Amino acid sequence: MIRKGRGIGCMWYPIGFTVMANPSAATVKVNEDGTATLLTGTVETGQGSLTVLGQIAAEELGIATDDVHVVSADTDTTPMDTGAIASRTTYVTGNAIQLAAEKAKNILFETAAPMLGVKPSQLEARDRKIQIKNFPQKSVSIGEVANRALSVTGEPPIGSASYNPPTVAMDPETGQGKPFSTYVYATQIAEVEVDDETGEVVVLRIAAAHDCGTAINPMLVEGQVQGGISMGIGFALQEEMLFNDQGQQINPNLTNYIMPTSLDMPEIDVDIVENYDPTGPFGAKGVGEPTSVPTAAAIMNAIYDAVGVRIHSLPATAEKVLMAIRENQANGQKQIEGGPAQLPAE
Amino acid sequence: MTDVTLTVNGKERSASVPPETTLLEMLRSKLNLTGAKLGCDVGDCGACTVLVAGKSVNACLMLAVQANGRDVLTIEGLATAEAFHPLQKTFEELASLQCGFCGPGIILSAKTLLDENPDPTVQEIKDALAGNLCRCTGYTKILEGVVDAARIMNGKQDAA
Repeated sequence: MIRKGRGIGCMWYPIGFTVMANPSAATVKVNEDGTATLLTGTVETGQGSLTVLGQIAAEELGIATDDVHVVSADTDTTPMDTGAIASRTTYVTGNAIQLAAEKAKNILFETAAPMLGVKPSQLEARDRKIQIKNFPQKSVSIGEVANRALSVTGEPPIGSASYNPPTVAMDPETGQGKPFSTYVYATQIAEVEVDDETGEVVVLRIAAAHDCGTAINPMLVEGQVQGGISMGIGFALQEEMLFNDQGQQINPNLTNYIMPTSLDMPEIDVDIVENYDPTGPFGAKGVGEPTSVPTAAAIMNAIYDAVGVRIHSLPATAEKVLMAIRENQANGQKQIEGGPAQLPAE
Repeated sequence: MTDVTLTVNGKERSASVPPETTLLEMLRSKLNLTGAKLGCDVGDCGACTVLVAGKSVNACLMLAVQANGRDVLTIEGLATAEAFHPLQKTFEELASLQCGFCGPGIILSAKTLLDENPDPTVQEIKDALAGNLCRCTGYTKILEGVVDAARIMNGKQDAA
């Protein structure tokens, strides 16, 4: 018989480790045509970080994302970056880029102030223009300001900056401290079908609510969540490295190391819970790794809801679930035959 | 050595290869068409998918000589000088791919599906892509990209 169940998994995840140096550096230069060039050492691996980092630079400079030319991942020419790891890029590299862009912008303000007859502090950068705050009719294009900075005032609009999440030492006695700069939170709910005659689990739907600070690019956040859930489903139900007693992996192929295909994917509802973080670039934190953290827990709880068994070792293969169901039934039978019920060891 | 002549992306291409050479190896090493990827090399992952005579095949499982004299389409031949294929367009707009390693295979498997079944259900799309593994995306935006591409292609067909 097919039984349905629902389960919840919750998690928090740290962003921006502080127990050791974790720096990112960046350089932003504004060109005389109003575009900008961003140099960053981080690596794009498909998650879309260069898009997000370009958006951060563009937002700070008041230009369009398409105006930002991103040069990345060349250790000969780009500034140092700790790397595309630890769900740190948007947060740590993003902060470095925002700081670098701010420096370049301040040079634009200093250059534009006499052009507009105001103080630099009265200016803002928006819509590819340097304009007077609350009086956008009075403005000058960023390209024109950059050109003046290059050829008249002699202070090219360029900014370099680095960001390293403030390190806080752990208390040697209590072990307490602040090992990470900030945290993200998420809840996922899984709806599953379990066949109690075969133990087979099918995930029908996952609803995933993720706090990532400000979602600088919601479409890419969704992509990260969906991808993380597919990894979580593999972790929960399919993927297992098996070794013989010589330590050799006995399932080194994709026919016997089973990862999710398009057929294993449930309907996914992604709910981005925006939560401005004052320490992040425009309030952003991160989203990469956290996405796969609560999935397996939610699925295991849904299995329990469906068929009343707790699976404590992953993956919850059909064999494992079926054995747990049989054991559960046998215990129930014993209780009926043998008098006082024993509490399940849960 | 065996002489193999293929029509690849509309152009006749020839190479002299050892008889055990796979179609994938010939495309990548002899013809410098590296869009089809070498993933598992045993037909599990689908990263090497190309179209031979309009059908999607794992190029790692087909010998080059078996494709002799036939039409081969690789990802390099899908876009024209004027425009992307609708699948490439929707995949770009929706960020359907992340690292992109599976992309050429996924797009060509989806093209085969849409050529044979212009208005597939989501389940039919899932079935058609089940042989193409993707580690990044969870397939969600890939399925959306195929649905949108089908809609665009059908719109064009309706107009014509």
